[in-house]
Amino acid sequence: FFFLMIRRPPRSTQGVSSAASDVYKRQVSTQSTWDFQWCQRRSMGKESKSQFSLKKVKQYILVGRAKPVAGQKEEPKVYRMRVFAPNTVIAKSKFWTLMRKQKKIKHTGGELIAIHEVIENPSKSVKVYGIVLRYQSRTGYHNMYKEYRDTNICGAMSQMYMDMAGRHRAREETIHIVRTCVVPESKIKRAETKSFTNGNVKFPLLNRISRPPIKKFKAFARAKRPTLFLQQNNSDS
Amino acid sequence: MCIRDRVSTQSTWDIQYLRDLMGFKRFVQAGRVAYINYGVDHGKVCVIVEVINSTRVLVDGPTLGVPRQVISLRRLALTDHLLKVAKGIHTKALEIVIKKNDLVKKIGESSWAKKLASQKRRAELNDFERFQVMMLKRQKAYLVNKDIAQSHGAKPKKVSAKKPKESKQQSNMKPITITYLHIRK
Repeated sequence: FFFLMIRRPPRSTQGVSSAASDVYKRQVSTQSTWDFQWCQRRSMGKESKSQFSLKKVKQYILVGRAKPVAGQKEEPKVYRMRVFAPNTVIAKSKFWTLMRKQKKIKHTGGELIAIHEVIENPSKSVKVYGIVLRYQSRTGYHNMYKEYRDTNICGAMSQMYMDMAGRHRAREETIHIVRTCVVPESKIKRAETKSFTNGNVKFPLLNRISRPPIKKFKAFARAKRPTLFLQQNNSDS
Repeated sequence: MCIRDRVSTQSTWDIQYLRDLMGFKRFVQAGRVAYINYGVDHGKVCVIVEVINSTRVLVDGPTLGVPRQVISLRRLALTDHLLKVAKGIHTKALEIVIKKNDLVKKIGESSWAKKLASQKRRAELNDFERFQVMMLKRQKAYLVNKDIAQSHGAKPKKVSAKKPKESKQQSNMKPITITYLHIRK
């Protein structure tokens, strides 16, 4: 019976978010991703060896509940959470932190029913991911809405963490993800994202430093200074 | 603010500036053919399918041996070739465009590809062939120095090295054509 509950399709997020009310709220993963067997099959799928997306975090789905107490009339409610974490250990930790804060269920008084990694298809198309997050700065808590272009949600998440660290000195521990979604072109908010979504985007490559194709061939010292204008204006490729 | 930021947020005026005044001819854009310089697929040619951001692009090479993937612009070298494709084109559609434009042939004819081929040939030489190359170089040097000594003030001329009369390996050897700059006294 609990497995039936696990297989139920994801419900839409509850409540209204003032920070992202215009943003399309559809979950990235479709109904089939909640299926454990589907996840297993996906994990055996082929991915190009040279995938370049940043892979700081993985997407996990955790399902847990409070331990049933003898004499309790109702079965404890089962909760499912979508977590972005680099590994299962941290994912579990985040899950129980939230359970404790929101549902008053402690790790000791609860049980984790299932933890699945959600693996997206390898990159076929570029999407714009909108991420609503809440982070703690040195002086308080702030909500943010950020957009990133990437081929998968984990790549976008990784970008977000790097971005937050760089711009706001916010480390991973202080960032809580409220909501993520795929943003359709018409609803993109940020100018930079919009400009790259434009089909006619073009720019030259500047300040090019040529490097050897394999790290092994990297020279410790070179006789000449690097030429930074390679492959730019040659009429022949 | 660097040019890259200006390019992404402003109008086509900047592109014109870059092209006409600054002389940039090769742009990162959907349909641009690029060589992969680094990584697993280095040495291969691919087509930029979509620009993700100022550092990464989605790239694909259906008949070129490159799987569809995200790659850093740092790993790419842009070429002159530009295919007319819509951004985000699917692999199958791109394959048709590549075939239609005869891209594989065009790239094979480019000097870059020829240089790569000659580098590869050099690496494949066996000991005897290397000896042959050495002899040819020696002959060439002799002819060149002879010409310099004989023609102070005369115009430079093209000298072809004489091939040694060998049997089978000869067909593999590339003819060496020497042009040299006249060394002024």
